[in-house]
Amino acid sequence: MPLAYYIGLSAVMFILGIMGVLLRRNALVVFMSLELIFNSANLLFITFASYYQLLAGQIMVFFVMTVAAAEVAVGLALMVEIFRTKNTINIDQMSQMKG
Amino acid sequence: MTINDLNTILPLVVLAGWSVVVLLADLWIPKDRKGWTAALSAVGLVVVLGLTLARGGTVQKAFFGTVLVDGFALYLDIIFLVGGLAGIALAYDYLKRMELERGEYYPLLLIAISGMMLMTYANDLIIVFLALELLSLPLYIMAGFARFNLQSEEAALKYFLLGSFASGLVLYGVALLFGASGHTDLPGLVNTMRAGTGNQALFLFGAALLLVGFSFKTGIVPFHMWMPDVYQGAPSPATAFMSVGAKAAGFAALMRVFVTVFPSLSDDLTPILWALAAITMVVGNVLAISQKNIKRLLAYSSIAQSGYLLMAFVPYANAEVSSDSIAAMLFYLLAYTLTTFGAWAVIIQMEQQERRGLEVADYAGLGKRHPWLGLAMTIFMLSFTGVPLTLGFWGKFYLFSTAVEGGFVGLALIGLLTSVVSAFYYLRVVVVMYMQPGDPPVKQNRWVNLTALLAAAVVVGLAFIPGSVLDLALQAVLQLQ
Amino acid sequence: MSGMQIVFLVAAAITLVSAVLVVTLRRTMSSALLLVLTLLGVSVLFVLLQAQFFAVVQVLIYIGAVATLILFVVMLTRSVMDTSEPQVHKNWWLAALVSLVVFVALVVTLSSWQAFPQVQRAIPADSGENLAALGKALVDPNGFALPFEVASILLVATMIGAVYIASERKGEE
Repeated sequence: MPLAYYIGLSAVMFILGIMGVLLRRNALVVFMSLELIFNSANLLFITFASYYQLLAGQIMVFFVMTVAAAEVAVGLALMVEIFRTKNTINIDQMSQMKG
Repeated sequence: MTINDLNTILPLVVLAGWSVVVLLADLWIPKDRKGWTAALSAVGLVVVLGLTLARGGTVQKAFFGTVLVDGFALYLDIIFLVGGLAGIALAYDYLKRMELERGEYYPLLLIAISGMMLMTYANDLIIVFLALELLSLPLYIMAGFARFNLQSEEAALKYFLLGSFASGLVLYGVALLFGASGHTDLPGLVNTMRAGTGNQALFLFGAALLLVGFSFKTGIVPFHMWMPDVYQGAPSPATAFMSVGAKAAGFAALMRVFVTVFPSLSDDLTPILWALAAITMVVGNVLAISQKNIKRLLAYSSIAQSGYLLMAFVPYANAEVSSDSIAAMLFYLLAYTLTTFGAWAVIIQMEQQERRGLEVADYAGLGKRHPWLGLAMTIFMLSFTGVPLTLGFWGKFYLFSTAVEGGFVGLALIGLLTSVVSAFYYLRVVVVMYMQPGDPPVKQNRWVNLTALLAAAVVVGLAFIPGSVLDLALQAVLQLQ
Repeated sequence: MSGMQIVFLVAAAITLVSAVLVVTLRRTMSSALLLVLTLLGVSVLFVLLQAQFFAVVQVLIYIGAVATLILFVVMLTRSVMDTSEPQVHKNWWLAALVSLVVFVALVVTLSSWQAFPQVQRAIPADSGENLAALGKALVDPNGFALPFEVASILLVATMIGAVYIASERKGEE
């Protein structure tokens, strides 16, 4: 398959991720959109790694996955903690700090 | 080979190792003695500071050129390490007072500083990305350290979501740059740019994504909307630390990457940077005027300061001016660090249980009842405004003059005008402190007092020898390339 | 059409459609399940790009750990989440506009790539990853030993933080 298709697919996933982050109110869905962004970057890295025949691109994916695993732990811990006190994780209902 | 590599980044290795030692030692420290953890962390920072100072300004590369230790890195490292010491001094009593005393705070702080130091060494975009995460993740947790307080938790979640979004944008930018050149290391990228073999459009888009990602981190308008909420919600010592650390590290990465790699993109980037700097100065200062909560006020003030810092960045591709303007930025960063920690020290003295004592109106009478604190706060507000006889004045003076030197007279004028606007809200705090009657309850703690008074003394003291400080900054910059 | 092409088209279609649904569906649970499908699609694409190792790691880490954790949190929090509320921000049009602008910019940028004709050649068959080289690079000081160690410190920090945040609340309620 032409590599351009992979690049295009990654670009569309990236935009979908951005849309999800900017549009949705639910913190969990925002978080899932973030995972889409990270995945689109990974796809881009692997694609370019195979274009340039370079290991560096693939290794980067390794670190991105580590970081994603780390982020999921912190982020979900925070969400559960807030849900325990407040029963919602909608971002714009975090009302106490407006103005 | 490996020993040499490790020796080159010895301060970082010691700091990261020390954070684990502190974490383990904390297990044996009884609950009511967490001061020992703080002291242990402070000792580690002092040792690392000594190691950093001892190495001098020699430029060294390590790990196959992925890290580069030069004067620029050392200058910023000293800021981070001193900031870390101030962060511990501010946190110790506050955490005890707010019943948050947990030993985990200090190892997290040390790890965040390791991330910031790594960011200054980074000579490869992989390292930039990992350092960004290494400094951000502990900061998210520190922002949510007051677990029983919903505001703090929400601040942490907001910071986390927007911070991760920024990281995602940076990552995609790195991927595009890798795609454009086949390199992630800065020298490789530079060579591709020089040879013109890379793809210019991809370079530009990658650079733009990096710029947007780091703009989120440093709070540049229009990527600033998370800052007031996070600054207000997070525990004050954590806010103080992140407002210096995250910002300085973000600018460090921007400087390193853009000045080395992207000078040839300046035709496209300079107007964008110009506009971002101008709008950040205007929006930050104008929105700060109507703030009644001191933490929010300082948040908007911090946004405005990002605008001033970014101003030094606009002529980055002009080789004649860029070293001057970056030196001015480093100088300003020092003034900003000292002033910020000092101001937050006063705020922490004033903060009561359940977030009372945080309105500007609560400061009524501070100047008369606690003359030293009042004097210190006055100095910080004057320094933020840029009034002569303070370090902030010289910071702005050098910034504006390099902007003029680079041919951006309009930008310097906007900076000057917004500084005048900023006097309005900074001086309001001073007026409230001295002109209105009141008896604010102040929690005296010697470490916080020491931080405030020391910062005030240095802000005034260094203002008499600005030339030598600027020389230091200039030396730091000369080794950047 | 060769077998590879069919696999690519199916995987790409699944990835794209489920990614769209992740960000548009009302129910968080459906979004989370479709995220699993997206991640699976990406791992198939990794196989097609001859990064088999990373395809496996993608399944293990992203689906095995990340998506599973997300599913757990969805189940922990869903009972109270009211799906009849509006799911988008009030100023959604601004966000949509920004996304659109970025999308157009990205498409223009990518399609301006002169190397595109070259890229469209098929991947050489011998470009598959070398697992031994990958492993060595991760511990080689001249390779990626430093990032590797940094990642380990990062995981330590995260562990402390997550344990701290989620640990039991004493003296409450």
